[in-house]
Amino acid sequence: MQEQDRNRTDARDAGDRLVAGHVREDPFAAAFKATRMPMIVTDPKQQDNPIIFCNEAFRRLTGYSDDEVVGRNCRLLQGPKTDPATIAAIRSAINAGQDIAVDILNYRKDGSIFWNAVFISPVRDDAGSIIYFFASQLDFTNVKSREADLAAARHEAEAEVAKHTANLRAALDARSLLVHEVDHRVKNNLLTMASIVKLQARVTRDEGRKQTLMAVLNRIEALSTVQRKLFTLDDVSKFDMSDFTRELVTDLVSATGRDDIRLSLDLAPLLVPAVKATPLSLIVNELVGDAVRRGLNDGGGDIHVVVRRLNGDFLIRIEDISEPVEQDSESAELGSMLLKALAQQLGAKIEKKLEGRKTVVDVVLLVGEEQENSH
Amino acid sequence: MRVLIVEDEMLLAMELESEVEMAGHEVTGLAMSSSQALEQIANEKPDFAFVDIHLMDGPTGIDVGRKLAEADVPYVFVSGNIKKIPEDFAGALGAIEKPYTMNGMKNALAYVSAVVMGDKDGLPPASLVLATEAAAEPGFA
Repeated sequence: MQEQDRNRTDARDAGDRLVAGHVREDPFAAAFKATRMPMIVTDPKQQDNPIIFCNEAFRRLTGYSDDEVVGRNCRLLQGPKTDPATIAAIRSAINAGQDIAVDILNYRKDGSIFWNAVFISPVRDDAGSIIYFFASQLDFTNVKSREADLAAARHEAEAEVAKHTANLRAALDARSLLVHEVDHRVKNNLLTMASIVKLQARVTRDEGRKQTLMAVLNRIEALSTVQRKLFTLDDVSKFDMSDFTRELVTDLVSATGRDDIRLSLDLAPLLVPAVKATPLSLIVNELVGDAVRRGLNDGGGDIHVVVRRLNGDFLIRIEDISEPVEQDSESAELGSMLLKALAQQLGAKIEKKLEGRKTVVDVVLLVGEEQENSH
Repeated sequence: MRVLIVEDEMLLAMELESEVEMAGHEVTGLAMSSSQALEQIANEKPDFAFVDIHLMDGPTGIDVGRKLAEADVPYVFVSGNIKKIPEDFAGALGAIEKPYTMNGMKNALAYVSAVVMGDKDGLPPASLVLATEAAAEPGFA
C-alpha cells in the first residue's frame, strides 16, 4: 500500500514536471487540457507504465477523478468482456515502441461499458529513446451499436430467407413426389384398364364382340404409349412425335408376325407441345391401324411413314400399297368419328388420296411459332 | 420356356400369365413379394422371369433381380419408372416400361425367348430397353 502511494506520488511528480516543462501560456498544454478528445500520457520509465497525466475530457469519459487515474496503468479501463487479443496487441505494440490504433471495449468507473477507438503512440526524446506514451480515446459506442443493430437485422433477414427457402424446397419436394405418384397411378390405371378389357375379350365367345373389345383396347393402348413417352424429354412440355410413331408402327407391324408387310420409316425429330400429344397420337394410331389392316390382306403390303416439318408446319404421312379392303361399317364409323373430332380439336388438316392400290394420308398441323411454344 | 412372374398387381400378373401362355410358354408361378419370389426361385428355378420393381414389401424387385442374376436366370424388369433401375441394371437383360401394350409385350417376349434359346441375332423391339443401350445413353442412371 505504501509502495503504491509512493508510485502515485512519483507519477504525479512526473506529470507536474511534464507540465512545468512548458511555460504557463504554452498553447500546446492548454490545447491538451481543453480539447474535447480524451487524452492521457503514461511514463514507461516508471514501473508498470502508469498514467501520469489525463485531461478533463478523459475524466468525463471514464468517470474517474484525476487522483483515481494518475499512478495507475491503463488496464483499469479493462473488464471481463474486453477482448484479450486486443489487449495483447496493445501490449506488444508498446513493448515494440510502435504506434497502434485499435477498437477496445472499456469500462467506466461505474462499470458501464463503452467502445473505445484508442490510438497509442510513443513520444521520443532527441536521443530517440521513449520518454512517454501518448494515448487518445474516442467513444464510438453509438456507431458500434448501430453496426450491431445492422448486423442483427441482417442475420434476422438471412435467417428468414433461409427459413423461406427451406419451406419452398420442402413444398417443391412434396410437389415432385406428388407428380411422380400421380404419373405412376395414371400408368398403372391405364394398364389395369387394358387388362380388364383383355380379360373380357378372353372370356367372350362371340367373335364380333371380341373384335369390338380389341378395338377399344387398341385406343387405350395408344393412350398408354403416349403416357409412357410424356415427361421423358428434358423439356417436359414437349413430346416427340417421331419417337411415338416409331414405337407404335414397329410394334404393330412386328406383332402381326407377317414378313410380307414391309415397313419403311422417314422420321425426323418433331417436338409438339405436350397438350397436343394425345389427340395427334390418336390420329396416327387410327391411320397406321388402317394401313396395317389393309396390309393384312393375303397379299401383304408396303407401308411408308413420314414424320417431318413441311415449311414450318408438321407433316405426318402414312402411305400404303396394298389391296384395298372393305372395312366393317361399325369400326369404319368409329375411326372416322375419331379422326374428325381430333382433327377439329387440333386444327389439323387430314387429306386422303387414293391412287389405285396406293393410299396416301397426310396430316398437316399448322404451327405458328407462338402456337408451337404454347402449352 | 418356364417363366416366373414377379408382380404385385394381381390383374396385371394374370394378364401377363395369359400372354406368356398364349405365346407357348409355361408359367412356373406368380410372386407378389420378394419373399414369395425368392422362395419360388429356390423351389423351382425358372428359365426366365419378369420382375416388377415395386412389390408388396417395397422396392424390392431390384434385390429379387440380383438373386436371379446370381442363379444365372435371365430376366427383364417391368416397371413404370425404369429410371429407378441401377446403372448396372442388376444383371437384367433389359426393361419393359409400363404401361406396355399387348403388341409391345408380345414382341419383347418373342425376342427374349429367342435370346434364352441362344439366338442373340434378333433385333430388340422398341418396347424393350436393353441394359447395354441404357448404359450407353449418357445421363441414364
